Amino acid sequence: MMDGSSNKIEAIIRACSVITRMNKALPDVPESKNMYYKMLTDYFTRVQRAKEEGNFLAAHTVFFPTEILYAMDIVPMHTETTTWMIALFTGEATELVTAGAEIGLASEICTPHRGIAGAFSLKNALPQPDAIVWSNLICDNTAKSGELIAELSGSPGYFLDHPFQESQQERKYLIGELKGMIDFLEHQSGKKMNWDKLSEIVAFMDRQIELFREICELRKAVPTPFSPLGFMDLLTMDYFFPGQPEAIEYLETVRDELKAKIAAGKGAVDNERFRLMSLFVPPMYLMGFLEKLSHEYGAVSVTEPFFTHWGEGKLDPNKPLESVAQKAYMIPEVQMYGPMNDTKIQRVADLAEEYKVDGAVYYADTGCRHTCALIKLVKDTLSDVDIPMLTLDSDVVDPTMTSEEETREKFEGFFELLEDY
Amino acid sequence: MIEKFREINSSFPQTSYVKEHKSSGKKVIGWLCTYVPEEIIHAAGALPVRITGYQQEQELDDGTAYLYVNNCSFSRSCLQLALRGEYDFLDGVVGGSTCDGVRRLFDLWRKYIGTDFHQILSIPRKFTESAHELYLSQVTQFKQHLEEFIGAPITDEALVKSIELYNETRALLKQLYDLRKSDNPPITGSEVLEVLEAGFRMPKEAFNQLLGELIDVLSKSNAENKGRARLAVVGSVLTNAEFIKSIEEQGGLVVTDELCTSTRYWSDPVVLDEGKTPLEAIARRYLNNFPCARMYPSDERFDRIIQLIRDFRVEGVVSQIIRYCVPYAHDLPLLIKKLDAINVPVLALDVEYGSSGSGQIATRVQAFLEMLEARK
Repeated sequence: MMDGSSNKIEAIIRACSVITRMNKALPDVPESKNMYYKMLTDYFTRVQRAKEEGNFLAAHTVFFPTEILYAMDIVPMHTETTTWMIALFTGEATELVTAGAEIGLASEICTPHRGIAGAFSLKNALPQPDAIVWSNLICDNTAKSGELIAELSGSPGYFLDHPFQESQQERKYLIGELKGMIDFLEHQSGKKMNWDKLSEIVAFMDRQIELFREICELRKAVPTPFSPLGFMDLLTMDYFFPGQPEAIEYLETVRDELKAKIAAGKGAVDNERFRLMSLFVPPMYLMGFLEKLSHEYGAVSVTEPFFTHWGEGKLDPNKPLESVAQKAYMIPEVQMYGPMNDTKIQRVADLAEEYKVDGAVYYADTGCRHTCALIKLVKDTLSDVDIPMLTLDSDVVDPTMTSEEETREKFEGFFELLEDY
Repeated sequence: MIEKFREINSSFPQTSYVKEHKSSGKKVIGWLCTYVPEEIIHAAGALPVRITGYQQEQELDDGTAYLYVNNCSFSRSCLQLALRGEYDFLDGVVGGSTCDGVRRLFDLWRKYIGTDFHQILSIPRKFTESAHELYLSQVTQFKQHLEEFIGAPITDEALVKSIELYNETRALLKQLYDLRKSDNPPITGSEVLEVLEAGFRMPKEAFNQLLGELIDVLSKSNAENKGRARLAVVGSVLTNAEFIKSIEEQGGLVVTDELCTSTRYWSDPVVLDEGKTPLEAIARRYLNNFPCARMYPSDERFDRIIQLIRDFRVEGVVSQIIRYCVPYAHDLPLLIKKLDAINVPVLALDVEYGSSGSGQIATRVQAFLEMLEARK
C-alpha cells in the first residue's frame, strides 16, 4: 500500500453537511434536496463508522444486488459511485486516478475503476472492507475490477456472474450465483441471511420502482417540473438505497413536489426552451456548471432511456431471491446489457416522442466502451424521428478531460441548431 | 513450405478455399472469439471462418465512426472490413458475449451488415458446474438454430467426426509447438502465427494435411533459430505476424505465446467420455479451455502462463495489450506480480490491433532484450 492520502469518506460527509446547512439557509430549496443530502451523509457515515460500530463492511460494484447486503445487516459501500462522489464533492478524484495509474492500470480503464483501485492502493483513503463483492454488470471493468481491489485491500471476494441474456437457464444460473454469494457472505460475516427482511426489502423495492415510474410520467408535463439534471439523484436512490424506507419517503416527496409544481404551472426552469434526452452520465465535476447552463438556456433533461426507465415486470416479496434476480433484468442501465436488439433501440425513439424531446445529449465517457459503441446506433435511430443529437466527449471523474469553456461552446452551438430546427 | 501458408493468407479474408466452398453451394459461417465451438459449424457442413480485422494496422475511419474511438481497434477493424463488403461472403455470424468490444461489434454487425444468420452465445465467466450447464444450453441452442438455418440435422455421428478432425488439428499444433521447446527451434514465432492464420480460413481437412507435411519437413530439417533470450508473447488478440517478426529481428527468440489466435485456440482437446454426448464434450472443452482474461478467477489463466513459461524455458514475457482491451489491461498488474514472484520480467506494450511492432515498440523491445541479457 502506498502512503498518503486523506480519508475521502470523511471529506464527502463534510461536504454533504456543509451543503445541508447552506440549503437550510435558502428559502427555495425543496424538501427533497435536504432529504437527499441527509441520506448521503447517513450512508457515508455508516461506511465510515462500520468498523468501530462492529458492522461488517462490504464494498460492491455498480448494479450489485445490495438488497441482499441490507437483508443481512451488512453495510454496503458502492465502489464506482464513491469515486463519483469524491469527484463531485471533494474534487480529489485525480489523486485516486493517478494512484490507479501508479499500480499499472492503463489509461483506457475507466476512471471510476482506476480511481477505486487507486483508492484501495493508498493508506487511509477508504475504510478497509471486510469483503469485496462484484459482478459483471455492466461491463468488463466491473467484471474485472473486483479481483484487483480484493488483492489490493487484502479482503476476501466473491464474483457474481450475471448472465448475458434472459433465458430460463440464465435466470436459474443467476439465482444459483446469488445463493453462492449469500453462502460466501454468511461464512465471512458470521451473519445469517434474514429471509423475512429480504422479503420486506423486495416489497419496498417494488414500491420504489413504482415511484420511479410515477416520477417519469410526471416529467412528461410541459414545462417539465423536474430539475434539469435531477436524474442523477434518482440514480443514487437505487445505487445506495434499494428497498430502503428512506428512499421511498424521498421518492414520494419528489413526486409530491412535482405534482405541486405541475398544478401551479411551474417548470423546473423559468423559460423551458429545450427538452432534452440525456444518454449516459454527465461529468461529475461539471454538474454545477451544467445545472447553471440549463437554467441559462432553459434546457432540461426530461428523459434518460437507459437511466430512469425501468424494464417491465414486478417484484414478488413471496419469492425474494427470484425477485432480486428479476430486478437485475429491470434496472434501466441493464437494458444496455445483453444484445441491443431493435425493440430496445426503438424504445429510445418512442421515448423521444412521448416526452416531446427537442434534442439529445450523449455524454461520451472516454472510459466507457460499451455505451460509446451505441452512439452511432442511437444517433441514427433518433435521426429517423428528426431528433438531433450532441455527442459530448467527457469523463465522469477526470476533470482534465473537458473544460467548462469547451462544454459551453458545444452546448451553445447545439442550442442554436435546435432553434433553427 | 511456409510459402504455402503465406499464399493462402495472401487472399485474406476470402481465401481460395472459401471461394471453392461457396461455389459448391455450401454455407460459410464466420465466428468471433474462441468460445464459439467450430466443430458444430463443421458438422453442419458449413465452413467455419474466423472473423478478424485487417492484417496490418490501418486507418479505421469507418470502424471508428460506427464503434467510436474508445472501442478496441480489433472490433473496429473487423467492423470496417465488414462495412466495406469484405465479409459479404459470410452466410452467418456467431459470436460470444466474451467482452464489451465483441458484444457491441456483434450488435452493430447485426444492424448494419445484416448477415443472414446471426447468434450470440452467453458465455459464463466461471468454470463451475452451473456455468457448464448454462454454456451447454447455449451451445445446444446454437446447434438447433444452425440446423434450422442449414435445413438439415447435425447428427452425433457428424459431431464425433468433426471432434476427431479438430482434435487432430490440436494434436498437430501441439507437435509444432513442441518443436519450439528446443534450444534453437526450426521455426520462428512469426512463421507459426502465419501457419495458424491460414488455418482459420480453410477446411481443417486440408489444413491438417499441410500442417502434417510442415511438421515432417521441420522435424528432418537442420534449420535453427537462435536468439538473445527466449520469449513468450501474451495478451490481446494478435494476427499480424510482423509484430512477432520485429521482435525476432532484434534477436528475441519467441518460443511460445498465450494468445487467442495461438495457444489458447488449440491447447485442449475435446474429450469424448463414455456417457457424455458429443455436444456435452464440446461444451466442456470450450468453457474449460485455456482461459481468456475475461474468466474468473484469473489465477486459472496465470497458472497456465506460468506452466508455459516452465515448459518452454521462457526468460522474458512480452505483454501486448490492444488499447481499450480492458480484460487484459485489468489483469496486467496482477500478472506482473505473479511473474515477478518467479523472477520473469515483463515488457508491457500498449498497441493497436495490427501493429507491426516498429518505432517505439522496437526500441522498447531492444531495451528489454538488453536487460534480459544482462541478467544472464
